[in-house]
Amino acid sequence: MSAKYTRNFCIIAHVDHGKTTLSDRLLEHTNTVEQRVMTDQHLDAMDLEKERGITIKSHPVTMSYRAKDGHVYKLNLMDTPGHVDFSYEVSRSLAACEGAVLLIDAAQGVEAQTVANAHLAFGQKLKVIPVINKIDLPSANLELCMRQLEDILTIPAEEAILASGKSGIGIIDILEAVVSRVPSPRWTEYPQTRILVFDSLYDSYRGCIAYVRVFSGAIKARDMMLLMSNGEKSEVKEVGIFMPKMVKTDILRAGDVGYIVSTIKNTADVKTGDTITIANKPATEMLPGYKEVRPLVFCGLYPLESDDYEKLKAALGRLRLNDAAFVYSSESSLALGFGFRCGFLGLLHMEIIQERIRREHDVEIISTYPSVIYHMVRHGGELLEIDNPVNMPDPGELIEIREPTIRASIITPNDSMGDILALIMEKRGVCEHTDTLDMNRVMLRAVLPLNEILVDFNDRLKSVTHGYGSMDYELGDYQTSDLVKMDILINGDPVDAFSSIVHRDKAEGKGRQLCEKLAEIIPPQMFKVAIQAAIGGKVIARDNVREMRKDVTAKCYGGDISRKRKLLDKQKEGKKKMKLIGKVSIPPDAFIKVLQNN
Amino acid sequence: MSGAIPEQAKAEASSPLGLYVHVPFCASTCDFCAFYQKEPTADDVARFLRGIADEAALVAWPRPVTTVFWGGGTPGLLAPRHLAELAALVRAHCGGAPEEWTVELAPGSVTRERLAVLREAGVTRVSLGVQSFQPALLDALGRQHTREQVFAAHALVRAAGFPSVNLDLMFALPGQTAGEWASDVREAVALAPDHLSTYCLTFEEDTKLWLKLSQGRVKLDVEREAELYEATWAQLAAAGYAQYEVSNFARPGHACRHNLNTWRMHEWIGLGPSAASQHAGWRGGNVADLDKWIAGLARGERLTEDRVRLTPALLAEDALIFGLRMNAGVDLAPWRARTPEVPWPMVEDAIATLAAGGLLGREGDTVRLTDRGRIVADSVATELMAAFEPILETT
Repeated sequence: MSAKYTRNFCIIAHVDHGKTTLSDRLLEHTNTVEQRVMTDQHLDAMDLEKERGITIKSHPVTMSYRAKDGHVYKLNLMDTPGHVDFSYEVSRSLAACEGAVLLIDAAQGVEAQTVANAHLAFGQKLKVIPVINKIDLPSANLELCMRQLEDILTIPAEEAILASGKSGIGIIDILEAVVSRVPSPRWTEYPQTRILVFDSLYDSYRGCIAYVRVFSGAIKARDMMLLMSNGEKSEVKEVGIFMPKMVKTDILRAGDVGYIVSTIKNTADVKTGDTITIANKPATEMLPGYKEVRPLVFCGLYPLESDDYEKLKAALGRLRLNDAAFVYSSESSLALGFGFRCGFLGLLHMEIIQERIRREHDVEIISTYPSVIYHMVRHGGELLEIDNPVNMPDPGELIEIREPTIRASIITPNDSMGDILALIMEKRGVCEHTDTLDMNRVMLRAVLPLNEILVDFNDRLKSVTHGYGSMDYELGDYQTSDLVKMDILINGDPVDAFSSIVHRDKAEGKGRQLCEKLAEIIPPQMFKVAIQAAIGGKVIARDNVREMRKDVTAKCYGGDISRKRKLLDKQKEGKKKMKLIGKVSIPPDAFIKVLQNN
Repeated sequence: MSGAIPEQAKAEASSPLGLYVHVPFCASTCDFCAFYQKEPTADDVARFLRGIADEAALVAWPRPVTTVFWGGGTPGLLAPRHLAELAALVRAHCGGAPEEWTVELAPGSVTRERLAVLREAGVTRVSLGVQSFQPALLDALGRQHTREQVFAAHALVRAAGFPSVNLDLMFALPGQTAGEWASDVREAVALAPDHLSTYCLTFEEDTKLWLKLSQGRVKLDVEREAELYEATWAQLAAAGYAQYEVSNFARPGHACRHNLNTWRMHEWIGLGPSAASQHAGWRGGNVADLDKWIAGLARGERLTEDRVRLTPALLAEDALIFGLRMNAGVDLAPWRARTPEVPWPMVEDAIATLAAGGLLGREGDTVRLTDRGRIVADSVATELMAAFEPILETT
């Protein structure tokens, strides 16, 4: 089959706009569905993905479709990660396609993520096929969706296909549109082999499995391949395609989507976005768009029980094998002992990794306050990159501190506009532009410091818009800000795990909030315990932990001693599970609670 | 140093020995009671008495018994002649008249005849399970006596001439107000007992009360309990009853020696089903079942549960954590001498921390809880236990 009859496309959509259901319908119509058995590796991540309604890993699949023109087409459907944290991964998946089906929920209309994804697709010069999904919902508003297509996305409304994944409406129209509107694979004429890596998977038997799109040339087992970003060579062990299970084939040719198993063991060595070529006849230019992915958000992860350090280390190692964007290195904390500094693409990525450590690796962990990478400029011009408040130099040594920002697109109902603007202000953001989407909604573009959206921005956004608001963002520039390190002291001892870098104007409020929260969640103590927030030794807020009111057994005679000892032993064991900080026993979930809802 | 063994042997040879007899019979089960007890048949009583004789015969009595305590159950449920029989069995092993001999009696079981038998046998102390003077609360607790019976029983006990009388009271009962409790204490004081035990209601597993709590029909209120504790301590101190333990108050010379010896980690021998013992290097409880207890004895065996080997370090730890419940506190010096294996510097650190927090005070080698420390004595105990941990993990 020549590349002429190959179409590579993806489906992009806002969360819950019906991507999974529609994908299933396409697989059914092309009789791919019986084989739709997920590999074990995929199943691992599936629970989390399903729970959160997002795709974390790519699940590409090759379908065979006899079009109305009588030809049989090879349709490669790329599943793209559905969250801003993974926007680079999304961009690489899109780069592997020539077309994109853009799903819009007929009842919800265009959302922030729809806009962001559409722009990504335009950026990759993909042919976008708009599909208005769920048209059989009673609340469907086709007219509005059409208008939004034209007004917001500048896509002619007459291009829209009306569909319902649930009822199977419009499925053939979509398949036909993919065949007729999406161009055949591009750049096939390039003289050497060039293959894009858009994801990778670690398999304990086969090592690293690269998910690839062949642009030109071909690749087969026993070829010596070359990774262009680092010049590393390795022998190809196997190539194949996704049906969606991996099925071994003899060769992958221009236009194909499939996988490559080589002698490379470590997924970190096969970077998303890299170009693979053939070592003895290498390409000279990489495919465009390759970037070194750098984590944006950092936090410390510590085992709850110090005995679990090795277990946690092994868990992080396993996760890293499958997720090159996740980085970690060892660090230690006075409060929490030995643990790891971990870097993530974003908050969701951070949550997912933490959740997987707990669920799949059965290690209870404590995480410290998340941080971004601050640029701190010393006298003399030396630039320091600080991702842990503990490492912040004395402010006297610094000329200025710069913080990363994001450019956010926020969609909100009109009547929440005031609240959203107030929220943006509160988070030190600047609203730069507003667009009216329709009668009811507005899209705001705002620049916000990344550290302000780390903890609760999305929750607050949902809350002030009663669930109707949505946000997407991309990384912006660094800006100079008046930032200070705020310490939390328990009984006069600073607890490094609670230190954070905050804007000076917000330190007092945030300090008070943290102190109150800690006072509330630390269980009553025998002693008077003060909790203070301080900047450079100056206390800016304080609170007291509640004093334990009563803990004494009434009857304790000869017959009670054995039983009482058992109870006290149990109590003592319970106490051992807590972290002793400044002579105060803090239950491990206190850290999580404090860090969660701030 | 001459080593721990001779020191310990010397300490034990001269130390008091307690005898506890558990009479496992009750006419009914109170809502709060977790003690082993059953409704007796005529045959049960006979089997019980024979069992006590058999069990006593299996014990290697090391030295004369200093104090005797009969608890239950309701020892007063035994007929006068059975009480006499039990007393004779006990006396036979005491090696002379004990210094103190307590018998617990439910007010409803007090009769002139029973009291006469007990007085004659040498009982020195009667403990009446009053619990409350409020009819509604007595009823709510499932007690089998009335307010009037309490007064009648007390009068009979006094008339019989026992040297020491205790009244047991309970507070923090469901529905009880602070005023009702203060009035209970006042009524008890008005009877001029020599000793008062006031127990904060405890929810123990396997009780009807626990069931009610777990079903949400009764609520725990720690703040209220704390207030009642403090109010009780103040009220009784003002009435001339000195607190000598968390729940115990006495006029001078009337503290219960049997219990003091328990808290000082001396030895005691327990007879009867479920009775606890601490002697001859072990601590444990007899099996809590009349039939199994008897069956064991028939094989020449004292069936015990939760048996632990006593080490000097364990005794030192328990002497500290249980001893601190006494207002007199604990003298560390003899324990330090007996147990060089205990990490005393760590214990001292823990004590210093607790002292700095205002939970205990220290004079020379004696440590004692402050009022604030006493009301959180269990937490204090766990802090101290943590200091003992290294040694206990290696032994």
